[in-house]
Amino acid sequence: MNAESWNLLLRIGLITTAGLSIAAGLISLVLGTVIGIFRVSPVGPLRVLASGYVEFFRNIPLLICLAFIFYGLPKAGITFPIFEAGVIGLSVYTAAFVAEVVRAGLQSIGHGQIEAGRALGLSYIQMLRLVLLPQVFGMVIPPLGTVFIALVKNTSVASAIVVPELMYQAEVIAGRYFYPNVFLIAGFMYLIITLPLALLVNVMEKRSQIGHRR
Amino acid sequence: MQQGMTRSRFRMSEDRQALLGALILIALLPFLFGMIPIKGLLTLLPVAWWPALGLTVENAEALQIAVANWKPFLEWGTWRFLALGLAMTVAVSLVSIVLSLPLATLAALARLSSHSYVRWPTIAGIEIIRAFPVLILIFYVFTQFSRVAEVTGSSLLKSNNVTLAVIIALTLYTTVVNAETIRAGILSLDKGQTEAARSLGLSYAQALRLVILPQTFRRILPPLIAQFVTLVKDTSLGAIIGLLELYHRGQILYQYYRNPLETLWVVAVIYFLVNYALGQSAQRIERRFSGSRRIASQVSLEP
Repeated sequence: MNAESWNLLLRIGLITTAGLSIAAGLISLVLGTVIGIFRVSPVGPLRVLASGYVEFFRNIPLLICLAFIFYGLPKAGITFPIFEAGVIGLSVYTAAFVAEVVRAGLQSIGHGQIEAGRALGLSYIQMLRLVLLPQVFGMVIPPLGTVFIALVKNTSVASAIVVPELMYQAEVIAGRYFYPNVFLIAGFMYLIITLPLALLVNVMEKRSQIGHRR
Repeated sequence: MQQGMTRSRFRMSEDRQALLGALILIALLPFLFGMIPIKGLLTLLPVAWWPALGLTVENAEALQIAVANWKPFLEWGTWRFLALGLAMTVAVSLVSIVLSLPLATLAALARLSSHSYVRWPTIAGIEIIRAFPVLILIFYVFTQFSRVAEVTGSSLLKSNNVTLAVIIALTLYTTVVNAETIRAGILSLDKGQTEAARSLGLSYAQALRLVILPQTFRRILPPLIAQFVTLVKDTSLGAIIGLLELYHRGQILYQYYRNPLETLWVVAVIYFLVNYALGQSAQRIERRFSGSRRIASQVSLEP
């Protein structure tokens, strides 16, 4: 096998990793925001279940989530294609960390705002939509960036359920052609995705600081 | 609604809520995915009632399958098999974190060094290793073993020593993460501490050993325990190259009994209980030294 086909395999891997990261990132963002809101909701049972969700998924390995979905669920008659199984496992797991960030953001907003919103006669949903969430999203971008960088690195675990992403392709190359250094190359290729993300987080962090000062 | 936001009316503490919620979720999972078939359980009622309840023979069969799937967990041997895996998980995590502490301290000091030729290579090394997925590190170290063994003729490496590979990779990664924690801990100390120590006539090394590091380590104990939880979770990645830890033993069990749902549920619950207990102890220590709260929450956010 020549360098060209290696290149191809790694490029396919990179695209798959990017796809996994984007899909799981978006789904976990939505799911995590909902769970984060539930964690501070006035409804007791919702709060208990949402906190339980976060506590549970924070304390179990990602590999178990993925294996449960890919190897376990077919036994219950629920079968997902490989890529979708990876996306769902990663989303479900990452949502717990997103929820923590969103909850911290919501709780950091002063009571004065909530009281002001109440005094204006806003409903709970209106308050979330108009007062709290717009502020929270500016605030949580830096910690969310950290979570998403970890998500990109975590997509490598999906190779265990044979999602053909970067790590998997590296394993194929290393195994078939005995070239272990391919793992270093693959490791640096993850940087292609995480580095822009880290820079973006840095910029946003600085911008939000300027905004606060103003 | 306001009570929800301020959490003044609900009496249960946040920790208790989280534990209760997690236990409810854990208890719901078997019913959600048919590991405990509700209709199957109803077939235990007299057969004459079945038509009225809409039950068929298939439901009775489902119950039999479920019983067969859970049966291994009624045997002592299964639990012993898993306990050995848990022992391996904890041992590998413990060795890795213990090995990482002196290395991380050195790395943190090198990063804080005033000599740029020490500082910059350290920063580069830390940032690069931290950016790598743990699984990549594990595979890289493992595949380098055979190469190193070829050159040195070492029998320790030749036997494809999976445990050693996982320990080295995890130690490397944990060193880098802990170095950042220790650095943050040192920086969080009042500068006056160093100045006071130095003005008492202590050398830089003495000031570090007697004044700075003891205070730093007391402060960063909670984030170190949080890192240990991450480590226990990451050890499961060793299963991919064949480390016989908890998850891998679970895999062997479910491939033998063909009950992936039940076994993975049990394994997940074991991980949850162990890590929850560790997290609680971290919080308890954190409450005792409340000064370290900021560093702790920063670190434990990372999945």
